[in-house]
Amino acid sequence: MSDHSKPLPEISDENRPFWEGTRREQLLLQRCARCGHLRYPISHVCPECLEAGHEWVPVSGRGEVYSSIVFHQVYHPAFADDVPYNVSLVQLDEGPRMFSNVVGVPPGQVKVGDRVRVVFDPVNEEVTVPRFTPEHP
Amino acid sequence: MTTDMLRKEAARMRSLKDRTAIVGVGATPQGRLPGSTQLSLAVDAFKAALDDAGLDKRDVDGLLTFPGTTAPEGPLNYLRVGEALGIDPAFTGSMSMGGGTAGALVQMAATAVASGQASTVACVFGDAAKTGGSRFSRASGWGDSWGIWGMMGAAANSAVAASRHMALYGTTSAQLAEVAVACRRHASMNPNAVMREPITVADHQASRFIVEPLHLLDCCLISDGGVCVIVTSAERAQDAAQPPVLISGMGQAYTTRTLEREDWWYVPHQKQALDRAYAMAGMGPQDIDVAQLYDNFTISVLLWLEHAGFCAPGESGPFVEGGRIQLGGELPVNTAGGNLSESYMEGWLHIVEGVRQLRGQGGERQVQGAETCLVTGRGMTLNCSNAMVLTKGGVSA
Repeated sequence: MSDHSKPLPEISDENRPFWEGTRREQLLLQRCARCGHLRYPISHVCPECLEAGHEWVPVSGRGEVYSSIVFHQVYHPAFADDVPYNVSLVQLDEGPRMFSNVVGVPPGQVKVGDRVRVVFDPVNEEVTVPRFTPEHP
Repeated sequence: MTTDMLRKEAARMRSLKDRTAIVGVGATPQGRLPGSTQLSLAVDAFKAALDDAGLDKRDVDGLLTFPGTTAPEGPLNYLRVGEALGIDPAFTGSMSMGGGTAGALVQMAATAVASGQASTVACVFGDAAKTGGSRFSRASGWGDSWGIWGMMGAAANSAVAASRHMALYGTTSAQLAEVAVACRRHASMNPNAVMREPITVADHQASRFIVEPLHLLDCCLISDGGVCVIVTSAERAQDAAQPPVLISGMGQAYTTRTLEREDWWYVPHQKQALDRAYAMAGMGPQDIDVAQLYDNFTISVLLWLEHAGFCAPGESGPFVEGGRIQLGGELPVNTAGGNLSESYMEGWLHIVEGVRQLRGQGGERQVQGAETCLVTGRGMTLNCSNAMVLTKGGVSA
């Protein structure tokens, strides 16, 4: 899928560990060195205590669907063949929430409260996008 | 924010109650306006508001602008608009908070007038969003864009809110439809509205999905147009051409966070903005005669109704049934048609309609005896919210 024209992460020193982690099929998040807050989105500084120091720690990749929507409208031409597709706000068991896609089931069947686990989708040689799938299909 | 803190804050704001007034409102034609630009629409709206107020441009010494989505100069819009209008203001600037901008600018104008920094402030907006290529389809997310997962466009954020509200409270799409039906019925009585053909709940249900659970008829329009609101002191407003409409309550609240805040989807900061406006006005939901509630999508009206205290959290779905928010109902909402059916002026026309209702200029859609109007705005990725209680001048509170 080298012709992947969807938005991709711009890899920088700030987010590189996250995207190197997904290539190894690991979901890593930042834990604040001072207050221990586990944060997402990725940031150079802790939004709780403003400490910059942090370590990247693996999380279970398990959680539940917090909200689930289905895109029918094409807002970006690269998604034209994907509609209808699911976007879910996933509540990770460790606390943070992230937007992702629940895949492996029809998009409209994803319900709030469904248990999900992370899966890794290599979209090109550099980038592997974390998505989710039902824990118990 | 504890109740005690809010009370102390309200005591400080209370001194601003009824100190300022909206004396002029102006709007251009709305809809598809080929050949128009952000600048031409802003200038036309300014002229219309001056005419409405019976003022000369030399009376205006404050200029606040919203660049909308199509001003090439972006945050320097105040300079571009100011040059076109040929004015050298004592107080100026631009702000970009999407649908939260109109209320924030009018409140900034009011505080500038109350503090003496300016005497008469024009708040100006123009946008050629329909014909000029708007940016409403962009993805949110600083750093790694949510677009990586296809999470883009304005409807998606409200769809997230709707999905969770439905799951937690049993809210239905047919209840969301009640908001669209009410706005369209009101627009049918508004000669300036873009969408005037009445719709039914069945029409709503049959319209295509945009971002499920939201159908096409849950979504606001995209429009070209301009709006201007002129604020001055209550004292000066006595001599204006129009009956004064007093700014009795003002409140704002923001969350800069999205994913980091578990209740982000429910926009709880809206309740803080409303509580501040109510506290300054010394009023509550029971005192409101008519409401103009920011409706980028139908679900937003449901959330406002809960935060404004018209119904309990989770109960807005049943609340909007049976025509309660239609003209003739218990609480008429968006009496000109709102963003959903009048025109998508990012909430600016909500202020204009609030003023017209309190002047008694609503025509066929006038709420008889309306003396108080609640006006709300919200913008960006559900981040920016504000509320105002407007009251009819010359009526003792």
